[in-house]
Amino acid sequence: MMGDRRNPLEEKRNRWGWFFVAPGIVFFSAFSLYPILYAIWTSFHNKKLLSLKPPKFIGLQNWISVLSSQDFWNSVRASAVFCIGVFIPVFLGSLLFALLISSRKKGKRFYQMALYSPAILSSVVTASVWLLIFDPRGLANQFLNTLLGTAGVDHKWLADPVMVQLSTILVYVWKQVGYYTILFGTGIGKIPSSVVEASMIDGANSWQRLTRITLPLLRPTMALVSVMIFISSLKTFSTQYLFNQHGAPLAPINVLTLNIYRTALSDQNLGKASVMSLFLFFILLVLSWLQVKAGGQGEELE
Amino acid sequence: MKHETSKLSSRWNTIKYNAGSFIATAILVIACSAAILPFAFMLSASLMPGHDVTTIPYRWIPETPLWSNYLRALKGSDGSWIYLRNIANSFIVASSVALSSVILASLTGYGLAKFHFKGRNIVFMGIMATMMIPFETVMIPLYLTAVKFGLQNRLIGLIFPFLTSAFGVFLMRQFLLGFPDELLDAARIDGCSEFQIYRSIVFRNATPAIATLAILAFRGQWDNLIWPLLIIQKEELKTIPLYIVLFTSELSTDEGAMMAVAVIAALPVFILFFTMSKYFLSGAGVYTGSKI
Repeated sequence: MMGDRRNPLEEKRNRWGWFFVAPGIVFFSAFSLYPILYAIWTSFHNKKLLSLKPPKFIGLQNWISVLSSQDFWNSVRASAVFCIGVFIPVFLGSLLFALLISSRKKGKRFYQMALYSPAILSSVVTASVWLLIFDPRGLANQFLNTLLGTAGVDHKWLADPVMVQLSTILVYVWKQVGYYTILFGTGIGKIPSSVVEASMIDGANSWQRLTRITLPLLRPTMALVSVMIFISSLKTFSTQYLFNQHGAPLAPINVLTLNIYRTALSDQNLGKASVMSLFLFFILLVLSWLQVKAGGQGEELE
Repeated sequence: MKHETSKLSSRWNTIKYNAGSFIATAILVIACSAAILPFAFMLSASLMPGHDVTTIPYRWIPETPLWSNYLRALKGSDGSWIYLRNIANSFIVASSVALSSVILASLTGYGLAKFHFKGRNIVFMGIMATMMIPFETVMIPLYLTAVKFGLQNRLIGLIFPFLTSAFGVFLMRQFLLGFPDELLDAARIDGCSEFQIYRSIVFRNATPAIATLAILAFRGQWDNLIWPLLIIQKEELKTIPLYIVLFTSELSTDEGAMMAVAVIAALPVFILFFTMSKYFLSGAGVYTGSKI
């Protein structure tokens, strides 16, 4: 920085930087900064959608009524159950698959592509396919009945309050495992082969290599993947929306995003919806902070 | 004696290795089958009459492929071929967003990567900070803005919030940090203007980052449901996700056609994936900080 300033020609040229970043600054001010300030403002006002009355300042009333409503805490619960339910199988599954793939000599590319393919599908398409799989006469029941030896039992994948949570989690796990398998694969690929070779010369068996070398060296990737799974599952919307449209009970799967949408559109209460959306923002802020701390993009930000 | 045991143990090791190898392959094959099976279901069900989709036990091979499912999928409930228009809308929106993301993010990313102007770090940190804002938080204010400017029920209303992305800026900046300065200086000596340098040297040589970003942006809008739900009510302006929502609620008993709708929606992204899988996978790689 200092070196550049000494040269007036370079300093003059560096002003061009403003020319290049100006469109970006305009965009982010208009479509990120302004809306978030507006959302904060709305959260303190009595603002109804499509109402012509000027919104009234009502202080913390929206915040109090949201934070004391059962409906909101039910959404927090639904989101938490979904996130944790997705996290455990996705994290363990993708780590296991990535390790297994890295141990294969042949077919690595095939395994990766096959596992990744569900991630390509749009989430609405995914939901519509699984809607039919979870049909009372659908594949999910047939598969489970074959497994349990119970013929003709309906496990109510979309109707039972507990099952419908499991169903949405299952859809998401199916869709996401491959993506994180690739991420872990990249992490494993970055472990220097000299370290692995040295351990083999020292006579470490494959279990020792895994627990003493591979897994400890994967720790940054693990941290990054964990946070990313939580952030992406917090933003889930399409599956819950479509399942609910199709008659699944709302309460068990009324995740925060769905509740924000419904509060804004069906109840037309923008103040309350803003409070919830800021709550979501706050959680994501904490998670993003963890992500930066966990490395990855954090190093680049410095 | 010692010779014998070492031979035995080496054989035991071979058996152990083979068994481990077999189990590893078995787990992967089962996982891959589980990943692919719903696709097989989607394809086979798209060629069946509705009641066959929910037969017990499910017959994976349709007796006679029912191609008319695809016609009904395209025609929609009122026979107006509305799906074709909705597909076109999705293409227009997703391509516009991809194009503008690439242009705006590369401009900003280039400015941040190659010019040491005062306040550069503040600008960069500011843009990165917006990455943490979930769309749901800015969605309602953006919706009110759209209403104010009459952007409801217009395709431009679907495009404007996504003209660029903080992640795109990040990706372009990271890529351009490694761009050789000598090349830029040489062009300056040749008398190129700063904008010419960007257009004919930087932009043309950033293909890997541009392709990755274009795919990410395109897919993001191909997939978007919540924003179109807010903005679009007119049938002829809907995008694919909205059509699927409509179809699954209005024609839920026509399961075969429902899966045909799904197959048609999935096709373009899959073609993109199989022709450009390198950039799909590098999109994932960006997060782990690997060079693309």
